[in-house]
Amino acid sequence: MISPKSNRTPVGSVQCENTSLHLLKANDYVAKVIRERLPNLLVINVCSSPGSGKTTLMQQTAKYLNDRLKIAVLVGDPETERDAIRMKEVGINALQIVTGGMCHIEAQMILQALDHIDLNNTDILFIENVGNLVCPAAFDLGEDYRVTLISCTEGDDKPKKYPRMFLTSELMLVSKSDLLQYLPFSVDAVTEDARDINPDLEVITISSINGEGMEQWCNWLKQKAISKREHATEIAEQR
Amino acid sequence: MHEISLVRNIFRTLEEEYPGKMGSVRGIYLKVGLLSNVQPILMQNAFNAVLEDDPGYAKSTLIVEVLPVLVYCEDCDKTTEVEHYKFACSCGKPSRNIVQGEELLISKVEFEEETIEL
Repeated sequence: MISPKSNRTPVGSVQCENTSLHLLKANDYVAKVIRERLPNLLVINVCSSPGSGKTTLMQQTAKYLNDRLKIAVLVGDPETERDAIRMKEVGINALQIVTGGMCHIEAQMILQALDHIDLNNTDILFIENVGNLVCPAAFDLGEDYRVTLISCTEGDDKPKKYPRMFLTSELMLVSKSDLLQYLPFSVDAVTEDARDINPDLEVITISSINGEGMEQWCNWLKQKAISKREHATEIAEQR
Repeated sequence: MHEISLVRNIFRTLEEEYPGKMGSVRGIYLKVGLLSNVQPILMQNAFNAVLEDDPGYAKSTLIVEVLPVLVYCEDCDKTTEVEHYKFACSCGKPSRNIVQGEELLISKVEFEEETIEL
């Protein structure tokens, strides 16, 4: 074919290659490597807009689980180590991933971070993604589950605006529920919209401030951590 | 989203798949599903911008085809296009069985076999 940007006319035949080259193939490959490397550990990719309460939820989750389940957090931000510092202050094993301005975490960043964090005696590894409901949806980080927070201050119209994120999540946490009484936000409406996109999506209403939903959330985590471990044991026994 | 890095990804992928044939690439066909969050016009702009720094593909054209989201319903054994982000069959049953719409791939590459200098 003749390229419009070409100044000369190419003479000769054109050969076609029909192909199927997936552009995020490299990321998906690394995600697979991460899954193989962490067979016993529950890995949760936590996504949301900036300021939905991801870091506070991590702090409260560690507190609530106490020592029943040990958590570690890899936290991504375009700049600064503030979130990792906030988590270390409450005793969480945390490591900051500074993405250098990038709008999402890629699997390669997680793989490299795994060499710098001690995951012995850890039951759950959280990946606190960059606050963004668009790009992180496209990047598999080798997680077992994707959990998306939507805070009630953001408005209940978000799922249909950012469908892919809700499509690829297993659980939606409606956060900051202590503020619901002051806001025209409907948990039913946000649930209905999110389930139009993803009929299997689980929903928990949660508040890191007054503790609403924390027990349900922590039970969810506990159940997933146990079934992952059992699954790993079964596979090990088969071998 | 991050179109520039996607364009670099296209070039990297082509170099791995067809080493040394950069200069004879004429057409690069992309298929992008609506769920991939890729905007064709931004992709074209990014493509032209990257070519300014990396003229190896200067003779090639990018053709982006956007694919609508289709879900499959087992009960009806048919596919339905998703409208207004309601992931359901036309019979009303919700479906997460997405058969099209998540693509982000190079579907075809055209090479010039021989160029005769005029």
